[in-house]
Amino acid sequence: MTRAEINHKLGGVLQQVFDNPSLVFADTTTANDVEGWDSVMHVSVIVAVEKAFGVRFSTKEVKSLANVGDFVRLIEKRAQ
Amino acid sequence: MSFLSVPFFLLVTIAVVAFQLSPPRFRAHVLLGASLGFYASYGPAYAVLLLLAATLGVHQAALAIERRESESAKLRLVTVSVTGLTVLLAAFKLASTLFPWAAANAAAEPGVLRVLVPLGLSYYLFKLIAYLLEVYWENLPAERSFVALALYAAFFPQVVSGPIQRPGEFFAQVQGFQRFDAASATQGLRRILFGLFKKIAIADRLATLVNAQHQNPGAYSSLELLLGAYLFALQLYADFSGVTDLAIGIGQLFGVKAPENFDLPFFSRNLQEYWRRWHMSLTSWLADYLFTPLRMALRDYGKLGLAFAVFVNMVAVGVWHGVAWTYLAFGVLHGVFLVVSVLTLKPRDAFFAKHPLLQRVRRVSGPLVTFQLVVLGLVIFRADSLGQAAQYLSRLIGWAEPGTIAATRLDFKLLTVSPKAIGTICMLGALMECVHWVQRRPALARRFVEAPAAYRWAFYYGVVVLTLAMSRLGEGNFIYAQF
Repeated sequence: MTRAEINHKLGGVLQQVFDNPSLVFADTTTANDVEGWDSVMHVSVIVAVEKAFGVRFSTKEVKSLANVGDFVRLIEKRAQ
Repeated sequence: MSFLSVPFFLLVTIAVVAFQLSPPRFRAHVLLGASLGFYASYGPAYAVLLLLAATLGVHQAALAIERRESESAKLRLVTVSVTGLTVLLAAFKLASTLFPWAAANAAAEPGVLRVLVPLGLSYYLFKLIAYLLEVYWENLPAERSFVALALYAAFFPQVVSGPIQRPGEFFAQVQGFQRFDAASATQGLRRILFGLFKKIAIADRLATLVNAQHQNPGAYSSLELLLGAYLFALQLYADFSGVTDLAIGIGQLFGVKAPENFDLPFFSRNLQEYWRRWHMSLTSWLADYLFTPLRMALRDYGKLGLAFAVFVNMVAVGVWHGVAWTYLAFGVLHGVFLVVSVLTLKPRDAFFAKHPLLQRVRRVSGPLVTFQLVVLGLVIFRADSLGQAAQYLSRLIGWAEPGTIAATRLDFKLLTVSPKAIGTICMLGALMECVHWVQRRPALARRFVEAPAAYRWAFYYGVVVLTLAMSRLGEGNFIYAQF
């Protein structure tokens, strides 16, 4: 899976979780930039991404994510 | 040594002068000396030794976590260290329950209880746990300098009442102890003045009324208790955000910017939002280091896992304040409220999205209902025992045994404040919220800072005069200095 494909698929998952098809994400986007992305929603995002990409993340991996770009790189690493 | 005392004023003055006069590489040492001196003034020497021992243990543990190659060894080390700190905190918090003889003596000799529960323990242990986890998660390198880590734990503006600053943010600022930042110091002085105003002109003026009502709720009517419940919410907010202003402001005199603790919490649209805007440094700490790991561990259990993690998180918020049934009940109540709120939020949002007229009503009713639930929880939080909380609430809603007191009686002599004083305090509360509102808007705040000096000084003098006019100095310490 290329990074562009991961970006595209991740964008779709996030739009679905936040129930907002017009949401746009960049590598630098953080949870603070997205309305409703709080600590309760955070794990819902993780679970949805795990399901969509068929991967499983550890708490340590999740806690080291600073932005969407980190998330894409982590998915890329784990999906290989 | 209270924040509102002459010795503390002298300590801050001496620390600022010594900090500025010392070479940059020794500034952290100067601040650590001042912090340990301040902390020692609160209790016995063993409290300082405990702080230093915990810091030394964490310092070595973090270096060891970083050195280990294998993931399982790192995990073992962090688990043992965090468990050790948590057990230490729980043991001290439980101490007054386990050793009732000490608690009984404490009424006569307040120092006895302090021996058992060193002041600020909850704050500095939470900081040390955050540091260990950040090192384990590889978000932060282990700090080589023991002085920097000890200063992080013991930094005197934050050690007794928070805010609970994150380690990475603090260490980055300690490295910048190079030159005097006049803008930061000026901002700090403004925050200190605002904090004193909140504490002296608002919080302390309400303390007598609130304390008396909670000592004997049976002597008051429903309406008087209702008024008291709202006024306690205002008292706690002014008191706690006042001490936070002092902590942030004093930190800024040394160029340290601490996190905010409040963001207009009484205007929250729902309870989830309220807990993101009240005591933010504690709730965000719990979200990062308790709720998220727990929720991750329980993510295969769907909504049940979510509900359990939310509930445990709120109980932790309650018992963090101390081992008492009232704090536990406060945590359980908010746990139940929040589980219901979290599980129903999506369907509620969907429902209101389909009904624009009701959505407009919700914009007003949401904050109003949330505030009532917050005030209800605070009655339990403030009560001296569960029995008294039950008595307070049953009288408030008119379930108490029929007596001679009319439910709608409003006896201001008994309340020890005049209607005029209550009106003035509420107006000052509104002024406080206006200043908070401006503080959250950088463009507006900048306009004030850049206004002609005469206008700004007139405003400062106005605040000083209001504070002095309302002052009842010497009527109690900060509420959040006991946790």
